[in-house]
Amino acid sequence: MIRGNNKIVAFCCENSAYLAADKAGRMRLHYPDNVRIIRVPCVGRVDLIHILKAFEKGAAGVLLIGCHEGACQHLTGNTRAKERAAYARNLLKEVGIDEARLRMANIAPDMAQQFVREIEDMTEKTKER
Amino acid sequence: MQIRIGVFLCDCGKSLSNIDFPKVSERAEKLQDVVHVGLHSNLCLKEGIEEMLSTIRDGAIDRVVIAACSPKLKEDAFRNALEEAGLNSNFLSLANIREQCSWAHEGDVTEKALELTAMAVERARFLKPLVKKDVPVNKEVLVVGGGFAGMKVALDLANLGLRTTLVERGLALGGRLEGFETNPAVPINSMRKAIEENRDIEVLTSAELTRGEGEVGDFSIRIKKGDEELSRSFGAIIFATGYRPEISPGDFQLRPGVNLISQEKLTEILKAPERLELRPKTIGFVLDVSDENCRLPTLSALNDALAVKERLGSEVYVFCKSLKVDSEGVEEVYREARDRGVVFVKFEERPRICSEDGRVKVELNDILLGDEITVFCDFLVAEERIMPSEGTEALSSILKMRIDSRGFCQDENVHLYPVSCERKGIFCVGACRGDLDIARASTDVAAAVLSTYELLASGTAIVEAERVKVDPEKCRVCLTCIRVCPHGAIRLVRVDTEREVAQISDLACEGCGICAAICPAKAIDFEGYGDEQILAEVQAIGESL
Amino acid sequence: MIIAERKPLEEIRGMIAGYKKILVAGCGTCVTICWAGGEKEVGILSSQLRLASSGEGTELSIVEACIERQCEKEMVEELRDKVQDVEAIVSMACGIGVQTIADVFEEKPVFPALNTTFMGMPEAEGVWTEKCRSCGDCMLYWTGGICPVVRCAKGLLNGPCGGTRKGGSCEIDPEKDCAWVLIYRRLEKQGRLDLMRKYYEPKNYRAVKRPGKIEALKA
Repeated sequence: MIRGNNKIVAFCCENSAYLAADKAGRMRLHYPDNVRIIRVPCVGRVDLIHILKAFEKGAAGVLLIGCHEGACQHLTGNTRAKERAAYARNLLKEVGIDEARLRMANIAPDMAQQFVREIEDMTEKTKER
Repeated sequence: MQIRIGVFLCDCGKSLSNIDFPKVSERAEKLQDVVHVGLHSNLCLKEGIEEMLSTIRDGAIDRVVIAACSPKLKEDAFRNALEEAGLNSNFLSLANIREQCSWAHEGDVTEKALELTAMAVERARFLKPLVKKDVPVNKEVLVVGGGFAGMKVALDLANLGLRTTLVERGLALGGRLEGFETNPAVPINSMRKAIEENRDIEVLTSAELTRGEGEVGDFSIRIKKGDEELSRSFGAIIFATGYRPEISPGDFQLRPGVNLISQEKLTEILKAPERLELRPKTIGFVLDVSDENCRLPTLSALNDALAVKERLGSEVYVFCKSLKVDSEGVEEVYREARDRGVVFVKFEERPRICSEDGRVKVELNDILLGDEITVFCDFLVAEERIMPSEGTEALSSILKMRIDSRGFCQDENVHLYPVSCERKGIFCVGACRGDLDIARASTDVAAAVLSTYELLASGTAIVEAERVKVDPEKCRVCLTCIRVCPHGAIRLVRVDTEREVAQISDLACEGCGICAAICPAKAIDFEGYGDEQILAEVQAIGESL
Repeated sequence: MIIAERKPLEEIRGMIAGYKKILVAGCGTCVTICWAGGEKEVGILSSQLRLASSGEGTELSIVEACIERQCEKEMVEELRDKVQDVEAIVSMACGIGVQTIADVFEEKPVFPALNTTFMGMPEAEGVWTEKCRSCGDCMLYWTGGICPVVRCAKGLLNGPCGGTRKGGSCEIDPEKDCAWVLIYRRLEKQGRLDLMRKYYEPKNYRAVKRPGKIEALKA
C-alpha cells in the first residue's frame, strides 16, 4: 500500500475509465490512494494546459485514460488525446520533467484490473526515491 | 455576488467507515463560500432528499455539492431534486467518495475524501445555469435510395404521418428487386403501388444529391433532377443505398467466360433453357472463396440450385466452407435443396479450380469424407461478393458521414447501434450496411422508423440550451471546430453583414468537448467541463488544507 | 495569413534570464489560428516557464495577457497597466507585433517568443504551408493560380526544368510535386495552355522598395 504525497492526477473518460474505476471500487480491488480522478466526457476534452497545470500544482504523474482505439464514442477523441499527450511530453521534456510521468492509456469500461494496474504502475514509477 | 455553497456528505447508511466524517465536515466548513455542511446517511432516499431540499431552501443555498456514491448512479435524481428546490439543475457538483474512495482503498481515506470534496467545491464556483429549451424540428424525412429498404422506410414513415421524399438515382424504384416481379415472395409491385398512391411520399427518380448542409432537425439538401436543382429541408435522413454484386474472377483461378459464369448469367440461362446448345450435366456453385461473410450469395446459390434442378435437371454441387443459413427461411431452402438431391461438399482449404477438356475441374479435400475428391462441372457459378453500391462513398461525404473500411455505411465503431451513425438524425438501413437479406433489412427499417418518429413526430425537441457554446466575439472563423466535430454538429452562421462565426447545434451536439479543447482562440465554452472548472479541480488537488 | 512557430523553450529562457517579473503577451489573430501565440499558447508557455524556474529554484512571476491584434498601436495600449509592473515583455506575436509593442513601450525590453516563418494557409488540421513570398509582382495570372516562386524548388519562372521525376515530383525534393507540372495541368483544365508560351522576364525584386511602404492616400 503506497501512501504519501506523490499525487497522480487521472483524467478519466466517463465512457470507459471512470466506469472501470467505479467497478474497481465495487470489486474492492484496493489500489494506492494517491490518485485523484477528474471526470471528463471524453479524453479528447483534455487540453495541454490541464496537463501542465497538474504538474505545476505538484502532481507526480498524470494519466489520460480513455477508450480503446476504434471504440471511442466520439470517434476521434482518444486519438487526439494520444497526440496531445505526445506533444505534452515534449513540453515536459523542455522543462526537465521525465516523459514517463505522463501516460495515455486505453481501457474498456469493465476493465477494473487494468485500471488498477495503471494506477499502481504510475505510482511505482513516480515514487520518491 | 457572493455564492452560498451547501455541502452534503453521505455516509451511505453509515457504511463508509474508513472516512472520518466529522473531520471532513469540520474542514469543509472552512472552505471559502461554504455556508453549510451536512452529514446524511441516505441522501438518495426520499427522506434524505427532502432533508437536503429544505436545508437548501432555508439556507438560501445556491450551489450544491454532494459527496456520496458515484455520479453515474444518482446524478440525474439529484439534478431533478435541485429543480424542486427552485435551483437550476446545473448548480450541482458531485464528489465520488464511495466507489472511488472509501471502497477503493484500504485503511483511512479521510484525507482523500476531503480533497475530493474540495475539488467538487472549487468546481462548483464556476457553474453556470443551463436552461432546457424546445427547439423546432423539421418533420420531413429524406430517404436516399429507392430499393427495398428505401421503399419500406418511406411507406412505414408515411403511415406514421411523417412526410418523406424518396430520392432514387435510377429510372424507377425497385433496386435489386428489379426482375423479381413475378416472384410471389418479393413484394415489389405492391410496394411500388402503395408508394404511388400515398400522398405523403414524394418520389424523385433520376435524381441525385449534390449538397448536404446542416444538422438533425434542420438539414439543407440540394437534389439534382434532370436540369433542375431542388433545395429542400429535412429533419432526418435515411440512407438506403443498397449494394452491388461483384465477382472477383481472380479468386477462382479461371477467366470468366464459358465455364465460369455469374449468378446473373445463370438467371438468364434459366429463363430460357431451350436456348442452350447442350444441356449441362453438372453445375457447381462455389461459396466462401471470395468472401466468408456471404449471406445473400448463399441464399441466391441455394435458390438457384433448386431452380437448376427444376428446369435443367442437372446434377448440382455446392462447394462451401460453412453454409450461412442464419437468416429467416434460409434453412428451409437448404433442406429442400438437399431433399432434391443437391450435393453439398464442405472444404477447409481452398479448392483447386482449373479448366480441363472444356469443363471445369474442381479438386478439393472433402472434410466430411476426409479425402480428396474431383468434380467436373460444365458450368461453375461464381459467388458474388457483396459490395457497397457505386457512389456510396461520394454520397457519404456529401452528408459528412463516415463509412467503414470496406466502404459500407456506418463506421465500425462499437458504440453505434445498428442503424445509427455518428451524426444524429442520419440512419442507415438495409444492404448499404453490409451483407443483409430482406428479413434483416426489414428489421433495420423498423428500428430506423421508430428512432426517426421519436425524434421528429412532435415537431420539437428538448435541448439544454447552449451547453456548448461558441463565443461569437472570440471566434476566429478558422473552421477548426467545424472540421473536427465528429458529429457534424457545428456550422457557420452569419451574425451580421460582415461576419460569419461558428455555431453549435444544441440538438446535434453530443457533449464530447473535442471542439472546446481544440479551439485555438478558446472561444468555446463547455458548461460543466469548461477550462475554469477542470482547472479548478486541478488547483484543489494541489492545495493542501 | 502569417505563420509562425514558437522558439525552443531554452532560447526563450535565455532571453528572460535574470528578470524576475515578466509579461507574456499573446495575439488573437494570425498566431492564434496557427497555434503559435494565442491565449492558449500564452498559458502553455507561462506554465512551462514556471515549472522550469521552480525546478531550478529561481524566482519568476508571470503576468499573462492576450490582445486582439499586436500590430495595432491602440490595441497594444490596452496592455499599459500590466506593462507598468513588469521588468520585461515576452511577445508571442509575429515580428510585426513584437516591434509594435517595442515601439509603444520603449523603456521595456521586448523579446520575441516566436520565429515568424512564412505567409501561408492551412492544408489540413495542424498543417500550414507557405503559399506566397510577397515578391511584389504577382504572376498568378500566367500560372493558373499556382505560385512557382514558392512552389518550384528552383524558383523558375519559365519552367519546367526538365528534371521532373516520374510521377510528377520535383527533381530536387521528391517529396514535393513539380510546380510546373501542377501549373500545366491547371491551365490545361482551364483551356489556357497557350499562356505557357509566354516568356516571363526575370522578376524585378526591386519592384517593391524594401522596407516596403504603401501610402494609399498619396496621389
